[in-house]
Amino acid sequence: MLLRLTWLLLQKDLRVAARSREVFGFMLLFALLCVVVFAFGFLREGEAAAAQVPGVLWVTLLFSGTVGLLRLFAAEEEGGTLVLAERTLAGATPLLLSKALMQLLFSGVTTLLLLPVVLVFFDASLAQPVLVLAALALGLVGQAMLGALVAALLVHVRLREVLLPLVLYPLLAPLVIAGVRITVLTQAGAPAEALEGWLALMLGFDALVLVTAPWLHARVVEL
Amino acid sequence: MAKIASPRPTGFLALLSVATLLVLAALYCVAFVARPDVTLGIVQKIFYFHVSSAIAMMLCLSCGSMLSLIDLFAPSDRIDALAHSAIETGLAFALMVLTSGPLWARKSWGAWWTWEPRLTLTLMLLLLAAAVLGIRSMAADGTGRKIAAALASLAAPVAYLIHVAVEKWGGTHPMVLKGGGIQSPGMQLTFRVAMLAILLFAATLWTLRFRVLRLEQRLHALRLELSAQDVRKQRPGAPT
Repeated sequence: MLLRLTWLLLQKDLRVAARSREVFGFMLLFALLCVVVFAFGFLREGEAAAAQVPGVLWVTLLFSGTVGLLRLFAAEEEGGTLVLAERTLAGATPLLLSKALMQLLFSGVTTLLLLPVVLVFFDASLAQPVLVLAALALGLVGQAMLGALVAALLVHVRLREVLLPLVLYPLLAPLVIAGVRITVLTQAGAPAEALEGWLALMLGFDALVLVTAPWLHARVVEL
Repeated sequence: MAKIASPRPTGFLALLSVATLLVLAALYCVAFVARPDVTLGIVQKIFYFHVSSAIAMMLCLSCGSMLSLIDLFAPSDRIDALAHSAIETGLAFALMVLTSGPLWARKSWGAWWTWEPRLTLTLMLLLLAAAVLGIRSMAADGTGRKIAAALASLAAPVAYLIHVAVEKWGGTHPMVLKGGGIQSPGMQLTFRVAMLAILLFAATLWTLRFRVLRLEQRLHALRLELSAQDVRKQRPGAPT
């Protein structure tokens, strides 16, 4: 029931996204713009541009993810269907899961398109692409789930455009720190064992968020 | 109506007096009993308030997070007010730690700020507490309380992961207590007095904010009752 309802809601969101295409396009453009602005800010003459790649990559994903998250519940809110979508036979969890999957899809595609651009712009290459991609996947899963939770909680709150990053960024700090460290270490040619602790930390964060987010969401929404 | 806060705050006044006396005693000890540190000089005296404030901050914020979780399980106005006032008090002490810390760091490490694990964690805790309080104040009464409670209870395990991450990232912090850095009896006495004073000061602030919040809740309930009475007056036929 849970999975079927999640899939139905996700299908609906995918159809809406395929027809309008606006949010995804803006998210991608925003990500590209972030990279350009970071290049203005961080590139120095006589210093290797590649050293900036980990920071630029992760902060860009953190920022551009916010664009998607702020519009995640827009359709339900504008159509006035939020209360209905929250009261399914499987509770409010299908809505949260479908939104998290939607966000994961958007940010995943953005990352795949953005990664080569960053590497080209900053004249870098990935030493251990599998490990970096694994870290990116773990980071995006955590961001999507926690982001969907915060977006869902803030739907009716004043100034939520400001408050969402204010809450989300400190909560995502472990993922950003670990993600940047992993990317830095792979660039420095560190052995895979050195990365295990960081990957375990990201995995632990994702597990925590995946377990607690639906529960917290239900406690707040269904009461 | 349930008794919310006693009109004569005898207990609170007693707490306030004891805390005030202890803070004064701590100031006296810091100034006259504890000798200046041999290597760091007079700046080391920040330590007595810095470390006790950090402990007060951790206690307040963990209590706030735990009470928020309890409030999610079994919603009650009392628990909610306790949790909210705990987070507010924790935020005040986080500010205290982040003010006294750089003053000490400048002297002992030569820089106002380093991205050292405990500094980073304290800063993140400050940001998280501020965000939770901000959301609570922006949202309408009932929802803001629930949202803040959900985020505050999530913040505790996340803060632990931030702690793990920044520790792994590395750094140096003076381990005064573990390394047995304070050996002179005067310093030890001063530290104990300062610790007790700051903890009682935190308890006083917490109680004060708790009482204010309870009074606000009572005022809100009275307003609701009053408007309900007005409605009944306008419709005389309605059941009373």
